[in-house]
Amino acid sequence: MTLKQTLLHGFWRDLPPFRLVLGLCPALAVTAAANNGLGMGLAVTFVLVFSNLIISLLRKVIPEDVRIASYIVVIATLVVIVELAMKAFFFPLSQQLGIYIPLIVVNCVILGRAEAFASRNTPVLSMADGLSVGLGFTMSLTLVGSIRELLGAGTWFGLTVFGESFEPFEFMVQAPGAFLCLGVLLGLMNAWSRKRGEIFVQT
Amino acid sequence: MREIGRLILVLGLIGVGSATSLAWVRATLAERIEQQEDLYVRGPALSRLFSRPADELLANKVKISTDSAEYPVFYLQEGGELSGLAVQAAGQGGYGGDIVMMVGIDVQEDELVGVEVVSHSETPGVGAKVEKADFRSQWEDLTATEHVQLRSAGGSIDAISGATFSSQAMVNGTNQVVDLLRDHRDEILARIDERIGAGGES
Repeated sequence: MTLKQTLLHGFWRDLPPFRLVLGLCPALAVTAAANNGLGMGLAVTFVLVFSNLIISLLRKVIPEDVRIASYIVVIATLVVIVELAMKAFFFPLSQQLGIYIPLIVVNCVILGRAEAFASRNTPVLSMADGLSVGLGFTMSLTLVGSIRELLGAGTWFGLTVFGESFEPFEFMVQAPGAFLCLGVLLGLMNAWSRKRGEIFVQT
Repeated sequence: MREIGRLILVLGLIGVGSATSLAWVRATLAERIEQQEDLYVRGPALSRLFSRPADELLANKVKISTDSAEYPVFYLQEGGELSGLAVQAAGQGGYGGDIVMMVGIDVQEDELVGVEVVSHSETPGVGAKVEKADFRSQWEDLTATEHVQLRSAGGSIDAISGATFSSQAMVNGTNQVVDLLRDHRDEILARIDERIGAGGES
């Protein structure tokens, strides 16, 4: 892939979690509000960019047999850095995201990109890939969060949108609402790409 | 054999790099994280214990060191007299590690005002219930001169069902503070007097 293709593929062709169908756990769990989705997305983007960079730099050094263990150590280190930084600068957000920040370690999008991309591409391309996929993930999570917050609480990023008379569907900010929202979006995306005749091979 | 050596070396070096960078980040951010915890956790907890605005209480802080640990102690003055203390302690024996908590004491009556949880890593929905007010309200008005105990050990605290470890950690933290107050009372009072004398505002 060229640099331009790499920079763009995360926004539609490999858009997580819809296209890659990886990273569903945070996409379902933290998206009760747009704000949380955005924060989670940016945290994942940071980890993804730097884990891709470091793994790409070390790709010729890391032996095949212990590559997954090495990737996990690198990713876990970055996640703890994010966790500490979030506590130092965005404390309320870190309290809301709680356990889901440490769980970025096992977010399959990150391990997936390390294995599928960073381990066989140059550092610059790998960072571009991390940025693209990370921002795509942020976009998806913010979208899911926005829909759920708007319908479930009548607010957007904490601002009242529909006013007093609006009776929120509380269902949408609870767990089943997350599945419903994600499923409908996935269906719409598939219908749209079928209409345009795009061929998707899930790899 | 050479191959195995290489595996160990590479993984070991990655581990060393990881540990070094984490230690550095932690040291750099420790002070700021503490400030944020004051602002968002300790401040509101103190404010609930003593029904006073948080910034009035947060500044009133001394640190008491014992052989085993260091305790941040916050104090409240009313009409020029010391009326309340809030001691932060780490309750050991939690399911996910120590539960950092704040124990409020009415110094005049030698009674507990209440307990507040500062930070914990207990299981959400189980041990995390130690944060709930109906569990913590059991501490109100207990005497501050004797150890508290779970009901299973003959005491007065009902443990959260399914979370005996977490409940026990809260009890342990309280008892540390009871011990501290018994053994180091004079030192605490002297340190507070010293601080007030040194220009700490009323």
